[in-house]
Amino acid sequence: MTASIQRAPAALVRSALSNEFGLVALIAVFAAWFALATPGFASPFNLFTLGRIAAIDVMIGFSMMVVIVTGGLNLSVGAIGACSAMFFGWLSQRFGLPLVFTIPAALAMGAALGAVNGQLIVRSGLHSFIITLATMSVFFGVMVFVTRAEAFRALPPAILAFGRLRYFGYVSPLLLVSAGVGLALAALYRLTPLGREMLAAGANAAAAELSGVRVGRVFVRCHMLSGALAGVAALMAIARTGAAIPSMAGDLGQDWLLPAFLGPVLGGTLLSGGRVSVLGAFLGSALVSELTNGLLQFRVGEFWLQTYLGLMLLAAVLLDLMRRKLVARFGASR
Amino acid sequence: MLRTSKYLLAVAAIALAAGVSARASDATRVALVPGGPHPYFSAWEKAGEDAKKDFNLGAADYRVPQKWELNLQNSLLESLLSQGYNAFLVFPGDPVGSNSTVQELTENGAPVIATAGCLKEPTTALFCFGTDTGNSAYLGTKELIKAMGGKGRIAHFTGFLVDPNTQLRIDAVEKAAKETNGAVSVTQVIADIDAPGPAEEKINAYLAAHASDVDGIVTTAWVPAVVAANALRRIGDKRIKMVGIDHDEVVLKAIKDGFVNGTMLQNPYGQGYIGSYALNRIRNGCKVKKDAPFKTIALTNRFIDSGTVYADASAVDNYVASMQSITKQIFAGFENTYLDCP
Repeated sequence: MTASIQRAPAALVRSALSNEFGLVALIAVFAAWFALATPGFASPFNLFTLGRIAAIDVMIGFSMMVVIVTGGLNLSVGAIGACSAMFFGWLSQRFGLPLVFTIPAALAMGAALGAVNGQLIVRSGLHSFIITLATMSVFFGVMVFVTRAEAFRALPPAILAFGRLRYFGYVSPLLLVSAGVGLALAALYRLTPLGREMLAAGANAAAAELSGVRVGRVFVRCHMLSGALAGVAALMAIARTGAAIPSMAGDLGQDWLLPAFLGPVLGGTLLSGGRVSVLGAFLGSALVSELTNGLLQFRVGEFWLQTYLGLMLLAAVLLDLMRRKLVARFGASR
Repeated sequence: MLRTSKYLLAVAAIALAAGVSARASDATRVALVPGGPHPYFSAWEKAGEDAKKDFNLGAADYRVPQKWELNLQNSLLESLLSQGYNAFLVFPGDPVGSNSTVQELTENGAPVIATAGCLKEPTTALFCFGTDTGNSAYLGTKELIKAMGGKGRIAHFTGFLVDPNTQLRIDAVEKAAKETNGAVSVTQVIADIDAPGPAEEKINAYLAAHASDVDGIVTTAWVPAVVAANALRRIGDKRIKMVGIDHDEVVLKAIKDGFVNGTMLQNPYGQGYIGSYALNRIRNGCKVKKDAPFKTIALTNRFIDSGTVYADASAVDNYVASMQSITKQIFAGFENTYLDCP
């Protein structure tokens, strides 16, 4: 009984020290500030659009996170997303296929391109940075050549309706999709042998190999998962825009790179691999989306937006550091 | 008695404030939103300021997405709606991908005019008000062919491949060349270069290797026009003829100095000014005429040409007057031609 009472505050201090707690606190503080200082922030329409954007950014972050786990990178997430989206659009518009076929096909396309990345990395022994930098141009270039940069917009109305659906007036269902995928990823890493092999291979590939983990195969699977998640993000972007467009992730898919890195890194996923925080990546992406939305509401000069966003992220990280030191000191004094 | 008077005064003040607030929210607040930062759109800022003053608008603000990214533009538009803007002039970040956001704006009671670039039909935008890009590229190439003496080889420098207007421009230049029955050919098309870095790299590399292989250059995007004009000045050879686009100082000076033959001017000021006026009229009860004499172009059958004009060395000093003259001309007949007003 006494031991459990002593353990309770220790657990409390541990959770207060966690990255995720800090992110939740920062999200709450900024939400309160934006809601009090700008009339539009708390409006149902703005909360709905914020949730929708955050959901897509979270999914883009997940698609990078599952590769960062291995100590690698996937710079081609945007290009893979654009290819999956265009494949989905082509199947829908050209053949009129139903969603039950086109959605898995788009995800399979993403996974297949991810497998190409994984195989090239494993077989060449080159760093994923080099390989995915090259495949980013190859995937995107082939897609533009094949589609002649023409968008597909004769898509099933259900997908656009899904993007516009609002629960309780302000909750986007896309946010629920991201939360669901996040739960599945958390279960993968915590509950399955494959997830544990991914973490082990990322932490120390040589040690994992000696322990019987087929590291090369695990890396390929991580890249396949990354490609499939980029496909999910692309389908969510289609639900937002109602069309499959080549420029949905910018030229070469580069527009997805910033959200791809920010969420996982802010959330505590180690760039060197071996450690992951799915909840942290979710909250990190949500924080960045919230800050961007709040700054737009403040009507910060458009060209200052990135500067202010950077400053606020820096301030957020420093505040979080201070919080951890305070909590640690408080915990030690007890 | 005094207390009752105070209450009445307070109630009256609240009612007055509510009335003012209602009127304020009724005023037309126009947001002029390009696809990203680009010198072409800088004239929209002045156009908005002038429109606000001349038409007594609540606001007519030029709001630029921080970079050319469809998602950023969509987010900015959604944010502006929740900030109280109730009318939008939008250069679509993508002719198809912007449609969904435009529909959300119109569903929330904010009319939208696609400006300087069109949305692909079907769209809830009222109409498209911009330059007929294909026609402009065609006319510019015809001027170039004339300057080349009706024969020779052309290099075409143009914008981003993901912009469907780029394909229209490429086709238009080809069409003008084909009309010469083989006397003129397009030997090189360099696209995806409407940004300083890639434009400098690709145009300079091409001219360094192949300047002697071309007799004329046509550019159909702002940045390639500037870079090509600078390159011809550096080479110093006026043998190569060139027709550019838009009104960057570098291009205008190169025309005066004889390194560039002319430029296809567009009318961004008129787009912003007349577009703001039209939105205000729409918000005050006017409707777009069903039988208005819209043009049909590749993306839409509700197109209004904001005007384009070729300016050579003889006209370059008066280019502002040329654009103002076009604006006045379109504005004078706009309401009668395109709107039904009570």
